[in-house]
Amino acid sequence: MKNVVTTTELRKSFKSKKGVVEAVRGVELHVGEGEIFGFLGPNGAGKTTTLRMLATLLPIESGEAMVAGFDVKKQPHEVRRRVGYVSQAGGGDRLSTGREDLILQGQLYGMSTTDANARADELIDDLDLGEFAGRRVVTYSGGQRRRLDVGLGIMHRPDVLFLDEPTTGLDPQNRANLWELIRQLSGSGTSIFLTTHYLDEADVLSNRLAIMDHGLIVAEGTSRELKQEIAADSVVVSLKSDEGCSGATELLRQESYVSHITTEADHLRLYVDDGVAALPKLLRLLDGNGIGVRTITLSEPTLDDVFLRHTGRSLHKAGMNQRNGDSE
Amino acid sequence: MKMLRDVGLLYRRGLIHTLRIPVWVVVGISTPLLYLALFTPLLQNLAGAPGFPPTDVLDLFLPGILALMAFGSGTGAGFAIIFEIQAGFTERLQVSPASRFALLMGPVLSSLTWTYIFTIMIVAVAIPFGFHLHLAGMLVSLVLLGLLLMVFASFSIALALITKEISSLAAIMNGINLPVLLLSGVLLPLSLAPTWMRAIAHMNPMYYVVEANRILATGTIYDAKVGEAFLIMVPLTVVVMAWATRVYRRAVS
Repeated sequence: MKNVVTTTELRKSFKSKKGVVEAVRGVELHVGEGEIFGFLGPNGAGKTTTLRMLATLLPIESGEAMVAGFDVKKQPHEVRRRVGYVSQAGGGDRLSTGREDLILQGQLYGMSTTDANARADELIDDLDLGEFAGRRVVTYSGGQRRRLDVGLGIMHRPDVLFLDEPTTGLDPQNRANLWELIRQLSGSGTSIFLTTHYLDEADVLSNRLAIMDHGLIVAEGTSRELKQEIAADSVVVSLKSDEGCSGATELLRQESYVSHITTEADHLRLYVDDGVAALPKLLRLLDGNGIGVRTITLSEPTLDDVFLRHTGRSLHKAGMNQRNGDSE
Repeated sequence: MKMLRDVGLLYRRGLIHTLRIPVWVVVGISTPLLYLALFTPLLQNLAGAPGFPPTDVLDLFLPGILALMAFGSGTGAGFAIIFEIQAGFTERLQVSPASRFALLMGPVLSSLTWTYIFTIMIVAVAIPFGFHLHLAGMLVSLVLLGLLLMVFASFSIALALITKEISSLAAIMNGINLPVLLLSGVLLPLSLAPTWMRAIAHMNPMYYVVEANRILATGTIYDAKVGEAFLIMVPLTVVVMAWATRVYRRAVS
């Protein structure tokens, strides 16, 4: 498969009052043609910074990046013509109507006015914008605005579409609609590179994904591969009394079928080779030592488990401990 | 050529957008009218005081008001850009192959067009009240006013791109506003000023435009002060616009 995005040793740091912040610290990744590539990580992980470098918005500090067949550092202009970029803010022109905005976008990408008009009509049909395309963008709902943003991003039929946190702030219905739309785009041959901090989005939507934390890629592969790498089921045990936690951890650590244990607030998370076989043994052991169990749940590994395994933190918690906001 | 087409596209967008916020049109025209209505009467009584040039008050005052309008529209240009930055529109343009010069020139030219329209309206209103129109002088005046607007609009837009938020831009623009106005002789001619103040005024580009405008308003075109104004404004416009284009080109962080 041909790659539409390839990076080697990509780096970027910013100067701040506290000193130099290394936002991206040597990112290596590739996105295949026609793929939906998910870039998962907490806020502040460096996802947006990476994306902005690939989209020619930020100068690359060091390393190489090829996008749509061109070197981002040497031929940004060629890259721009072949890439669509939808930022978190969107980019719709508030005082224009959706239709006017699509046409302007096409014209700025070099389409003739006739072509831009025809393409705008096509997109208004395809993306179901008809109901509001004649109204000013400033009046749109969140979901309507997102649909237009995507339309603007693909107006010039780019080879690669970058979507930065496309579903943040959308309600479940609009989120599902957008996922459907992204799948359609991918089906029609556009390669898609999206960032997200939602586990389910990365899991369900992307063909392949990379997990990023603190400016580095900690894991890359298909969702299934990454989960298989863990090669374990996870068991979450919550105890009747918090004091039992440390005792239980000590006890369970000695069991040969427990491969990994973490303690979180009032519960334990264990990774075991075979969950079904381990469950009765666990219960017997804890009960025999007088440790009361409130609940016990067995689950197949999730991407959060993958994240936890590679970073030592849960993605939900990681997001909260990072710098505020989405500006990475 | 792609660049000219891009300028045209963004210019047309700017013109239409201004029409869609009619308040701007109203303020654009009412501010100079208020100056004419509420400030000129004060000057009537000052006429004949020592140091006051021996012309009709409106002939003296209107050229200053026109410079004030160009300056005001220019410094205001950055504020619309702040909203566009926040809406992600600026970034959308920067990631497109659109010419960077066009990103700057589109809004600058549309602001210029609106200011010219207001200027012509104000001049038309002033004529029945005693302003003596000298057409050739006025045309040269319009060129100088255009340069003045382009300098401050480019400056304001570049600062908007650098600061990215409205309070910083407003603070800087307010800080610049007052000294530029006071040291330009817009309201009262600097012929009334002490020597040291006139010396400082020579650092102010707007001063040259106002001085030249007053001469042009009398119908004199070939005058050293008019030449001087062009000698200063043309290179300044080129430098400031080149800088602002560079700010657009340099990717924002």
